[in-house]
Amino acid sequence: MTFATIALAVARKDLMSEWRTRELVPALAQFVVLALVIANFGFQFDSRNAPAIAPGVLWMALVFAGLVAFGRAFAAEREQSSLDAMLLTPASPAAIFAGKAVAAGLLLVVCEAVLLPALALFFSVPLSLEVVSAVLLATVGMAVLGCLFAAMVARVRARELLLPLLTLPLWIPFIVVGGQAVQAAMGGGGGGASQATGLLIDLDILFVVLTSLTARFVLDD
Amino acid sequence: MSAVVATSLTQRFGSEMVLDAVDLAVDAGEHLAVLGENGAGKTTLLRILATAARPTSGTLEIFGLDALVERRKLRARIGFVAHAPGLYPALSAAENLAFFCTLQGADRGRVAEVLDLVGLAEFAGRPAGKLSRGAQQRLAIGRAVLHDPKLLVLDEPDASLDSGGAELLAHIMRGRTAVIATHDHALASRLCQRTVELRRGRVVGIPTRLRVVH
Repeated sequence: MTFATIALAVARKDLMSEWRTRELVPALAQFVVLALVIANFGFQFDSRNAPAIAPGVLWMALVFAGLVAFGRAFAAEREQSSLDAMLLTPASPAAIFAGKAVAAGLLLVVCEAVLLPALALFFSVPLSLEVVSAVLLATVGMAVLGCLFAAMVARVRARELLLPLLTLPLWIPFIVVGGQAVQAAMGGGGGGASQATGLLIDLDILFVVLTSLTARFVLDD
Repeated sequence: MSAVVATSLTQRFGSEMVLDAVDLAVDAGEHLAVLGENGAGKTTLLRILATAARPTSGTLEIFGLDALVERRKLRARIGFVAHAPGLYPALSAAENLAFFCTLQGADRGRVAEVLDLVGLAEFAGRPAGKLSRGAQQRLAIGRAVLHDPKLLVLDEPDASLDSGGAELLAHIMRGRTAVIATHDHALASRLCQRTVELRRGRVVGIPTRLRVVH
């Protein structure tokens, strides 16, 4: 019963549940497309300023979709009263947390697969490997932090309010650095994309390690 | 030899005293019923015994281990049935058990055995969310014995069970130490050798011995 076996079983269970119920991903995909449609009408943009505006719209849509996706990861367990059943096994809480974060992160990646092409379509901005890698790297850090706080607030009544209050301040580095990387890749200025990508990897490592160490205390009271 | 020894277990939620210095000892192989009205503290006591919650103060030893420290080690030896079945509605009955087999480190072969034991073999492929409430409870009971635990902690396990429920409970409790919370005095006397009554978080009276343990 290794860490990886437990984490994979938990992730597989969450993905299988989502595949069968299709509760989250279709709604999230619809949400990000609607956010882009609203931004498309709300901002006055042309071919010159689109690469400067599009990254902001991308991160706004991603942040709000992420809050919903990560919030649901633990809220559903709490509603089904299944979190206790999982925790009352000898399985490591850190492995359970890792599995939940992987599944929630992958669901957000599916949502990004709709968001990025739609962004390119609405804002006529190029979609490059740098843009995709910046978004994916930010997703890793956002997923572990989002899931950690989602686990923390799953027990309280005002979780929908508390989750953004706790999570958003810690997501700021990902939004700032990811925004720079995407802006540079889209030709809208900003620092070098490769430098920002390197920084995103550093942030991912830092927060993956920190959340792995704290997950045990958050999940297992 | 005592399998469970709780000393002065106290649980407070804010200013509310839910358990007030509860002392409890359960011998190995003994079946103890915890009786009491709603809000008496039965669920809180059972959650502490199952290592699902920590008491505010007091000590708890299970199989000679400090249950507040060695929680993960003990969880492999405890089976818990909570109020709610806690199943994954989109997964089938068999998939629910297979998932918990992985988490418990139990052999996958146990899935078919346990489904048979709880009388759900014919519903193995049905999503847990589409099972009747009674069948869900049977599945939750099956999950609790998947890893062949030595101690069973059962919080009103008879809720929603049909007439065969008592036989199922008697069957799974055989050869194991068990603590069961129930409102049903008849069920308690049928399944258990001893009862304790909780009232407002305190054990009242002297624990009643219902019959001699053989």
